[in-house]
Amino acid sequence: MSDKVKDKVKELLSSGKIKGFLGLCSRDGNIAPHLFVTEDELDNLVVGDKSAPGDSRYPLNRQLINLVRAYPDDTFGILVRGCDERGLAALASWNQINPNKIEMVGIACPQELAIACECLKPYPESFVDGEKCEGVTAETVARIDSLKVKERFDLWLNEFSKCIKCYGCRNICPMCFCNECSLENDELIRKGEIPPEIPTFHLTRAVHMAGRCIDCGLCSEACPADIPLRTLYKKVADIIYKQYNFRAGYDAGQKSPLNFLGGLPE
Amino acid sequence: MKQLLSFSGIEEERLHSKWISSAEGPEFAEEMRKFVENLRALGPSPLKDVNKGKKAA
Repeated sequence: MSDKVKDKVKELLSSGKIKGFLGLCSRDGNIAPHLFVTEDELDNLVVGDKSAPGDSRYPLNRQLINLVRAYPDDTFGILVRGCDERGLAALASWNQINPNKIEMVGIACPQELAIACECLKPYPESFVDGEKCEGVTAETVARIDSLKVKERFDLWLNEFSKCIKCYGCRNICPMCFCNECSLENDELIRKGEIPPEIPTFHLTRAVHMAGRCIDCGLCSEACPADIPLRTLYKKVADIIYKQYNFRAGYDAGQKSPLNFLGGLPE
Repeated sequence: MKQLLSFSGIEEERLHSKWISSAEGPEFAEEMRKFVENLRALGPSPLKDVNKGKKAA
């Protein structure tokens, strides 16, 4: 699927429109993030489908934030799926990046991946490769909603008890850009406890994901304990949608209703 | 917040919020009386013993 992406990136690099392209590269059998700056590097460019579609995704947006801060005058290209595009729109709405200095090269995810992700919009606004497939609603959330309150309690108690407090969910999250993190504040969450206080640790993070999570699912992929974090944050996103008719990243330029510092939404 | 608590298996009635002016002492007292009554009816929190007896890592 990477040929059309390569052609597009080649065009962007050769025209001088972008200084570099943040994408994925395959080397020695491994897929890793890479900043492509010359055309002849592009042979190794991949879109992150190692043995299954999207099985080797990386939080490129996180790296992009560092990159654009170090080189504020330059324009960079970046590989985006639907979720990454939402992430960039949300990051722009939180004043973390300048969207005018970013050139997105989009790919649409196949239905198989959309189903696995329960992704509402598995494609970016514009894409050079892949085909637009149907969005999928979250069965995992509906299933937990249908349980009795005691059953829900037991389910999450069991999940949260597995946590080893590695902070992997936060560290991989492309929407976690705070300099100081509540999860490391001793007043809120006591240090030196494993699992971290239940449910304070996970619900604190869940609340912070409200109006911010763009549903990329990297948290669930990173979690060594297989805690269904994505399901929890999907629920939080649903609550915000129900209350404020807002989903983070779906409408570029629209600020989160919880982003008071940037002014209330129209 | 109530909806998130409920999804996590904690009765949403355990959280109550109401805007009351600092000049409305009796209203606050009445609200708290009702809240405590509701909490008593719910019984101990399911979280009561969850974090007990944990050793520092």
